[in-house]
Formats: sequence, structure tokens, C-alpha cells
Amino acid sequence: MRITGGKVYDPAHGVNGVVKDIFIKDGRVIDSPVEGRTIDARGMIIFPGGVDVHTHVAGGAINFARAMTPEDHRRTTAFIRSQTTRAGIGGMAPTTFATGYLYAGMGWTTVNEAAVAPLSAKHTHEELRDVPIVDKSCCVLLANNEILLDLLQDGECEQAQHLVAWYVWAAKAYGVKAVNPGGVAAWKWGKDTGQMTEPVVGYSKLTPAKIVSGLAQIIDELRLPHPMHLHCNNLGAPGNLATTLETMRSLEGHRAHMAHLQYHAYGGDDWNSMRSEAPALAEYFNTHPNFTADAGAVLFGDTVTITADGPWQHLLYKLTGRKWGNIDVENETGCGIVPYTYRPNNLVNAVQWAVGLELLLLIDDPWRIYLTTDHPNGACFWRYPEIIKLLMCSDFRKECLSQLSTKALKRIHLAEIDREYTLYEIATIMSAGPARALGLPQKGQLGTGADADLVIYNEDDDVQQMFGHPRYVIKGGEIVIDEGEIRATPPGRGLLVKPSYDETIETFLRPKFEDYYTLSFDNYPVEMERVEQPIFNNCIESP
Amino acid sequence: MGGKVTCTLGEVKNRADFIVYWGGNPAECHPRHFTKYALIPKGKFVPRGRKDRTMVLVDIRETKSARASDIFLQIKPGKDFEVLTILRALVKNQPVDRTQVSDTGLTMDQLQDMVDRMKRAKFGVFFFGMGLSMTRGKHMNSAAVLTLAAELNAYTKFVAMPMRGHGNVTGADVVMRWQTGYPFGINFSRGYPRFNPGEFSTIDLLVRGDADAALILGADPGATMPQPCIDHLARIPTIVLDPKVTHTSRLAKVHITTAATGISAPGTAYRMDEVPLPLRPALQTSYPTDEQIIRRIYDAVASKPDWMIHSGKMTSAQI
Repeated sequence: MRITGGKVYDPAHGVNGVVKDIFIKDGRVIDSPVEGRTIDARGMIIFPGGVDVHTHVAGGAINFARAMTPEDHRRTTAFIRSQTTRAGIGGMAPTTFATGYLYAGMGWTTVNEAAVAPLSAKHTHEELRDVPIVDKSCCVLLANNEILLDLLQDGECEQAQHLVAWYVWAAKAYGVKAVNPGGVAAWKWGKDTGQMTEPVVGYSKLTPAKIVSGLAQIIDELRLPHPMHLHCNNLGAPGNLATTLETMRSLEGHRAHMAHLQYHAYGGDDWNSMRSEAPALAEYFNTHPNFTADAGAVLFGDTVTITADGPWQHLLYKLTGRKWGNIDVENETGCGIVPYTYRPNNLVNAVQWAVGLELLLLIDDPWRIYLTTDHPNGACFWRYPEIIKLLMCSDFRKECLSQLSTKALKRIHLAEIDREYTLYEIATIMSAGPARALGLPQKGQLGTGADADLVIYNEDDDVQQMFGHPRYVIKGGEIVIDEGEIRATPPGRGLLVKPSYDETIETFLRPKFEDYYTLSFDNYPVEMERVEQPIFNNCIESP
Repeated sequence: MGGKVTCTLGEVKNRADFIVYWGGNPAECHPRHFTKYALIPKGKFVPRGRKDRTMVLVDIRETKSARASDIFLQIKPGKDFEVLTILRALVKNQPVDRTQVSDTGLTMDQLQDMVDRMKRAKFGVFFFGMGLSMTRGKHMNSAAVLTLAAELNAYTKFVAMPMRGHGNVTGADVVMRWQTGYPFGINFSRGYPRFNPGEFSTIDLLVRGDADAALILGADPGATMPQPCIDHLARIPTIVLDPKVTHTSRLAKVHITTAATGISAPGTAYRMDEVPLPLRPALQTSYPTDEQIIRRIYDAVASKPDWMIHSGKMTSAQI
């Protein structure tokens, strides 16, 4: 296949709106002309396919959210089955097939499911098989794993490292996620963690700070391609900037990906005095290149919040009085679900909306901050084109600011920011950057040898329209979307990594299973057959 | 009301010091539940096992499970919702009408003792069975017990879990949810999933005679459903996939004998707490698996002309 005359944005190669031809053969980009179909892309814009570094699309948590929101399924987009597509439901927590169609329909071709309890990883992989078109990776939750916490408390770092590697491979995962380190373990007794340097409930010495730095060190030692994927303590709480900065300081010398940074950049003492601290956080972030982050931006409207952060969700249930779902997972983690509506006239929500955008605008290196909404927490992923418009048009931002109260305007900084994203920067935050952060060299770029995942837009001044309705989406060299029609639904591939570990860790673990779990050691690991078209990525040479 | 505050069974094993079975008879219906998960095992934070746990049974009759309990609360039939609502009130120190209490079959002392114990527990759990969820009040009863568990979290750690059974019913629920958004009672007649229990659920469809064919997989409705459903299944072409002869297979037009999953066929079962477990066959068989049969039926159906317009778009008249 050959794509001619399109204006190409390929930040990984510094290509900024250059008209050039792209040649595709056997699912990859090649550098010499080939036979086959030619797409005339004159007047069009070509991006590498989108990469979502942090989303929740498959597994026990999102499936719980689906069960809890039938009232949304009823009012939202229905996917009618056709000869190429399966039936499904869109909305706040889309069904698996619909998730693939919605992502691909928007030009995203790789997604990272950010939170998998290893105990139910089989379930996650079964769901991921039913998410068509897009390639998929996932991160396992380990920062509240009691076996690991015991080792960290005892200073058994080497053993802990083997354990982490074993879990990554057992769950057929790609990376490691830390959610509210120590806090979810405390939630098993209905508690949370307070300070970074106070011991976790049930532990004598182990603090959240030690879990965070210990895990980051292990992940660097293992040379996993994706750094520790960190959901900090005190998510969502007024004044949590202090916790976020303290966490980041404890990570000096290590890599870390700061998930949904928006939820961690607040000042104030309570809900009434809550304010944006995005400038302070951005300032620290800008001078510390060991971090990447995704925005976790908020858009006004209905959604359902899902997180492994059980104590936070209990608080949200008490604040809202809405439905509350909770699953504590033995030995490993938790999970909470609360439907939520972000309202512009609500002070807290207005601050959250602004903070997401402020971080995206104030963090000056687009290679280190990525476009996400922490789907479905801040908003659903299919609303990304709205955020792109907010980033690219400061006039539109000002128009949106006018719906906020004067009280809210005093708590935020958005009105003072004039920066407008360029298309090149958008291509960086939606594709090139997150692909690099995930350590996926074949993604997020259009150089020779890259996976032929790309999205072609009709150039349009209305960027929301443009990004919401690609002219073509090509996945693995195949046209999957053509003018809004789903042409093909190839299965997506599973992205894996196998870190090395000492096999004797199994001798240590096997007897522990009797005490910590209710299933046998041999039934625990995810079998290779459950992963669809596995692709192995190598560990990196140096962190 | 809404949602569910729950956990996996290992949390119960390792932490629960206060266990309530409500409207269920695990001693006879889930015989491994006491020993493997809930009552007997020594756990990380309940090192003495049974001695560290208090077990309450709430039911309308004294079943075999009552013998295993420390406290048996016998309530009047159909009064589950009332008892749960009174407990919710007492938990919040709200006044309760004495005559309403006496209607439940329990005394105020019993109820207050229950509330005190629930609040004192370090980790409490409700396991509720069909004696709660399928009797008068139905889903409102389930909602009441789930809400009580949620509200108790203002005082201590408390969770709730339905005592599901009948093979891999949880697995069916989980898969339907990820594929359609709904757990059961799903109607695909418009080409996309719709959900309306009472309208699209199996019993209602059969009682009304709406279904003109039935494919039954891993279930024996002929033994459990109301007579009008059974009569209708006997009238229409009913196809049963089952390793053994059942009430339903006897009334079916076609019975295809399949390999028994977990014995002679592999697969995945979801435990009642939604933890997936791999099934490894211990025996070999010459019978096909359910999956093989369904795939062959699917392929045969798929080879027929599509009844819908090929683009997948439907006109409003069709919808």
C-alpha cells in the first residue's frame, strides 16, 4: 500500500507537517515504493496511530462498572451487529467489542490497560481478546501485595525483585502499576494511609515512601521497558500537592510514570478551599526528566469512576451518596466503583477540569505528558477530541471558562495561559510520547520498520471534528476505518515482556499460596494460550 | 441503594471474624464453603480458625446449617426486607417501631445484639442465598442486604456476597457483561443488546410463549422452572447440550451429549467471587465439548444469508 500526498506528522523522526509518501508492506512501514492500493491523501494529515498509556478497558473492575450502570447503556450508543462487527454498547463503560471499534474509530491503535489484579489476570486477558483491532498491554497491581510488602519491610530486596518479575510473567503483563501504595492494604481494615513516612496499617516499619522507592528501584533493576506506573497516595484530596511532591522527591534517581497527574495537583485544606497547584507541580516536573506523566484530564458530564484505590472510592460514595461497588482482592489489591457527574458549577469539579488542562499546557515537554482522561474516571476515552480542541484553541478555552463561577476562577490559572498546542505537539502527546514511555519502539512513529498503524484526517479548522472523524485508520497495514465505516476488525495483539527471575522464587512462593490465597499455585499463572497473538518486547539495556 | 461491597473469598478466609449466612443453607448447598473459605480455615488474621469467628444464620427454618452457627435467627417468611431495614435503622441509632419488630419473628434484644456484634466486628461478611434473593421482595431484598453492608463501612469493615451456584453461572454473568453490558435477560432482536428483567428474562419469555425455539446449555430448567415454562419448552424445538440425561433433555426435541466440562473437557469457571479458575480435564472422552458444538452450529448459521442489511445500518422501520 502507498499513501501519497499527505502531510505527515511523525515527531519521533522530527517530521513536522512534511508532505511525503508512506509505503506499507506486510504490516510495516518500508522505505521503498510497493505495489498495491494507493491512497490519495492530498489535503489530509497523517499521524501515527494513537497510543493510550493509561486506560481501563478490560477486567474485573470495568466489568463491575458495566454491571452497575445499566441506566447508561440504555441511553447511549448501541452497536448493531453487522457482517464485520459484533453487537455492543458504547457509553461510560463500553463493552469489549465496542471498545475496539471506538478506539480505532478515533485513530487509536494501541492501549495499555493500567490496572490488573494478577489474581484475575485470566479474566482481563479473556476480555482483551474480545477487544478487536487495537494492540494491548497491561500493568499488574503490586504496591499493596502483602507478600511483597512483607519482603520490602524486611529489606529482602533481591527476593522482592524476583517476586515482582514472577508476578509480571504470571499475569502475562507488560508493566507494574502501583496504586495508593500501602493505602489499599490498609483499606482491608477500612483504613487509608496518611503520611508518606508513617508506617502502613498492619506494618511496623514499612511506609508508603519505602514501597514507592523500593518498587521503582526493582523495576529499574529489572529493566522493564515501562517504568513504574504510579498512582500516588492521597488521590483527589485537597492539598495533596505536598504528597505528590514528596513522592516525586523520593524517586530521584529512578524512572516513574505518574498516572493521571491531574488528580494529584491540588492545594487548599478542604473541599471549600481546594485550588489548582498545577503551576507548582509543573515547575517541579519540568526540571526532573526522570518522570513522565499522563494528564487524567476531566471533562464535564457523566461518567463512572473505577480505581484500585478502595478507600478513596468509599469517600466518594459518602460524598455523593451514589452507588458504590467495592472488591477487595485477597493478598493483592482492591477496587472501587462509583458513578460520578462532573459539573461546571461545582467548585471542586471546576478546579479538576482546569488542572488537567493546566498541566498539559504548563508542562513544557510534550514528550513527557500524555493525553489521557484516565478513562473512564475523568471522562470517557472517546471524548479525547474535545480535549485536543481545548489544547489547540485558547479562544475555545476562554469560552469554556465563562461557564465557571467567579469563585472557581480565583482557584485556577487557566485564564492566564495562552499556549496553544500545534499538530506536531498533539501527535507527540497522543502517540509518539506514550509509545516511548511504554517502551514500544514499533509504535508511535512512521519510520522504516514501524508497525503500520496510522491515522489519516481530512484537514479541518474544526479540530474536534477532525480528530473525532478520521478519514482512514490503518492498523497493521490494513484499512480498518474508512470514512466512519468499520471495514475490518482484525484481532489486536498482546504486548508482553518477560523479565528474568530466579526460578527458586517459586519454592518460596508455593507454600505462601496456602496461606495467602484460596487457589492453588499451579492454577494461578495465566496460560500463554490466553494471550492473543503475543508480541514480546525486550527489557531495556539501561534504565 | 445500588452497587455491591464485596471481596474475594481469600479475604474472608484471612480476615473475617463475623460471618452471616442469610437465606442460604451452605451445609447442604455449598458443602465446601465452611471448610475451604468461610468458617473453619485458620487465616492470617484469624489464626485460631473457627474459634476466632462468630457465625450467624438467618433463615425461616432451622436447616442443617443452623448446627454450625453460633447464633440462629429464625425470622418469619417474607420478612427479610423488614429485618434488614430495621437493622439499617438500628445501625444508625434511628428509632424503630416495636410492633414492626415483633412482626419479624425476632425480638428487639436479638436485633440490637446483632447490630452491636456487627459494629464490633473487625471484618464482617454477609453471604446471602436464594432464600433472600428469590423470595418475596426479590431484588429489593438483595439491595437491602447490600446497602446494609455498604453502610456498615462507616463503622467497620463489612462486605457482602451472593451464594451463587449451579455450575458456572458466574462465568456466564461475567462474559455476558463484557460482551453486552448486561448480566442476563438480554434481547438481541434489534441487533444490539437490550436488557429488561421481567420482559426479556427466560422465565418471562417462556411463560408468555414468546420464544419459538430454545437452545439450552449447562442448565436444567425442566427441573426448576415454573410449569408453564416447562410446557412451552416441550411445545417448541428445544435443543439441549448436556453430558447427561436431564429433565430438560427428556422433553427436548434434540439432546446432544457433550463432554463434561472440568471432568473431560477443559475451560474456565468463575468462582462465586468472580475469580477465574482453569479447568483441566482428568479424563478423556469421545464426546465433543460444548464449545465445539456451538462453533459448528454458529458456522452453519453464519453460512446462511444474513437477515440484516449488509452495511450493518438499519432503517428506522426495521428497528
